[in-house]
Amino acid sequence: MENNVGMITPSGGATTLAPAQDQSLQPPNPDLAVQIQHLDYFFGSGDLRKQALFDINLALPRGQIVIMTGPSGSGKTTLVSLIGALRTVRQGSLRVLGQELVGLGERDLVTVRRNIGFIFQGHNLFESLTARQNVEMSVELTGQFNTKRAQAEAMLGKLGLADRVGYKPNALSGGQKQRVAIARALVNHPQLVLADEPTAALDKQSGRDVVTLLQTLAREEGCTVLMVTHDNRILDVADRIINLVDGRLASDTSPDGYLQANAAVTC
Amino acid sequence: MWKRTPLALLNLIHDRRKFLTSVGGVAFAVLLMFLFSGFKNALYDSQLQLLERLNGEIIMINRLKTNMFVPRAFARRRLYQVRSFEGVEAAYPLYINDANWRNPETQQTRPVRVLAFNLADPILRIPEVSHYLADLQLPETALIDTNSRPEVGPTIAGIESELSERRLKIIGTFTMGTDFASGNGNLIMSDQNFLRYFADRGPEEDPRSFATADLGLIQVTPGFPVDRLVETLQAALPNDVLVLPRDGPEGFVIRERRYWEENTNIGFVFTLLTSMSFFVGIILVYQILYTDVADHWAEYATLKAMGYSNLFLLGVVLQEALILSILGFIPGFAVGGLLYTVTGNVTGLLFQMTWGRILNLLGLTFVMCLVSGAIAVRKVQATDPAEVFGG
Ligand SMILES: Nc1ncnc2c1ncn2[C@@H]1O[C@H](COP(=O)(O)OP(=O)(O)O)[C@@H](O)[C@H]1O
Ligand SMILES: [Mg+2]
Repeated sequence: MENNVGMITPSGGATTLAPAQDQSLQPPNPDLAVQIQHLDYFFGSGDLRKQALFDINLALPRGQIVIMTGPSGSGKTTLVSLIGALRTVRQGSLRVLGQELVGLGERDLVTVRRNIGFIFQGHNLFESLTARQNVEMSVELTGQFNTKRAQAEAMLGKLGLADRVGYKPNALSGGQKQRVAIARALVNHPQLVLADEPTAALDKQSGRDVVTLLQTLAREEGCTVLMVTHDNRILDVADRIINLVDGRLASDTSPDGYLQANAAVTC
Repeated sequence: MWKRTPLALLNLIHDRRKFLTSVGGVAFAVLLMFLFSGFKNALYDSQLQLLERLNGEIIMINRLKTNMFVPRAFARRRLYQVRSFEGVEAAYPLYINDANWRNPETQQTRPVRVLAFNLADPILRIPEVSHYLADLQLPETALIDTNSRPEVGPTIAGIESELSERRLKIIGTFTMGTDFASGNGNLIMSDQNFLRYFADRGPEEDPRSFATADLGLIQVTPGFPVDRLVETLQAALPNDVLVLPRDGPEGFVIRERRYWEENTNIGFVFTLLTSMSFFVGIILVYQILYTDVADHWAEYATLKAMGYSNLFLLGVVLQEALILSILGFIPGFAVGGLLYTVTGNVTGLLFQMTWGRILNLLGLTFVMCLVSGAIAVRKVQATDPAEVFGG
């Protein structure tokens, strides 16, 4: 029955399921940077339809630094990309910085993205642009052409790259490149920063440095950070750790609690 | 707009070697377009070199002379009839005949075209002719076209050789060029000399006399409407002659060009070659742009994630296309111009680089690059910003 509906109207199939879930939504809470309620997400359509996220409920207060862990394939990247307005969402409720994303079209999603800082596993810097120009590309989105240079240089300075502003990515180390990417994500002072395994491509020490810098700046700016990581050594920067397993939220604790729980399992 | 980071330009020039190859590729496509369209234009333009030098607003020919290649003359008395009409300032005959010229160096004979007229008549707008009017009165003298094909031998004053097996002395030169009807070159002589060579050339050839002329030139009284005079003359004269204005959409010059356009495959062949270069250019530029997008896929997707719209990325690719077209056009045009001169010298054809043609090809180059850009851009639009997450 479900499959039939899904095949006829792949996108609308789940809408018919929504009343069956019969779960009421909380009103919008302005203190929350991210407010997720009863969020389901499916990849593909018809027979190939596969559910990646199951009834996610998650509230991230403003200013919190949250680390998300979980086995590979558990849906972390999917969840982060949904919060980042990179995919259209149709089920449940997903409020990001006060804006409901469910039902938004591509054009409105683009606008939402401008208030979010993204940090990816790869630095994704343009090889043809200097560190400063890469960061300026971000400032240009705000139309502040006259101050873009100063803003970019100030942010690179905060990340310890004051003497590297004119370098192209080729001439920078992996950690430096990721710091440029962070500068690019933070230069417009986003209220929300989303990072997906930002240290995966870095060695131990530079990974640690990058995350500490990110933490310091986030505190300074008071912005909310949601960071996916497998790296157990950097969990201490977080206020809170959530664990995703098979598309479901499995645990939600403080770093201490998480470590104790995991220690208990391994013992 | 100017304050934006010039991403398109910087992406293009980042890899110097790739950049130079790209520009070279576009330049090559442009050069091919210049060459092929140049040949087409040169072949047509060359047909008109003599016609455009005719010094009269109205031309009279035998009705059967559909193009300059047809050796049909008309009764010269028609020209005298015309002189009595109001608006006719003067009417002159021009005599044309082919003859074999012996190359003084190789001793081989080659057909050339002889143009002859009464030296008192200002028939041709060729300034050099007026310098030699006195010398041309002498028997067995002529001027030779310096743009004749190499087969006729040296084209300098002082050469002595044979025309139709009769001695001829070259006493000077002029500059015009060859066409389909001119054989390997042109000679200019007086009408008196013309009779010496062509009045009696043996049993196989028609004898020429002043009873017939090949072209009649009619000069119109300044201010008198040419079209009206053409109509009047044509109505008054018998149907064996055709009276045409020299210029204008129905004129003698255009008629000649149209004849060659409609009755040869030149246009088709060279237009085909030009279009092929155009499409090769499209494929080439598409390759360049596509590779750029594919190589920077993650970066472009990141721009989208940051909040740049599809339109912006479209702009970047189209800018790259535009930059390539301009930077490729310049060397293509420069080398093309050089080859026009060289090819013109070798073939004796008239290679003209006019503003209209330059702008036309610049436009084609723009279209070439924009079409490739438009195809390549679909790749950018398809980049999904969600895909850059997680790697
Ligand atoms: N573009 C996609 N199309 C179809 N299935 C996908 C796509 N991306 C991810 N998935 C599936 O969704 C599940 C969650 O993937 P993902 O969010 O990338 O996990 P994680 O980031 O935790 O490793 C996986 O089973 C994966 O195979
Ligand atoms: Mg992932």
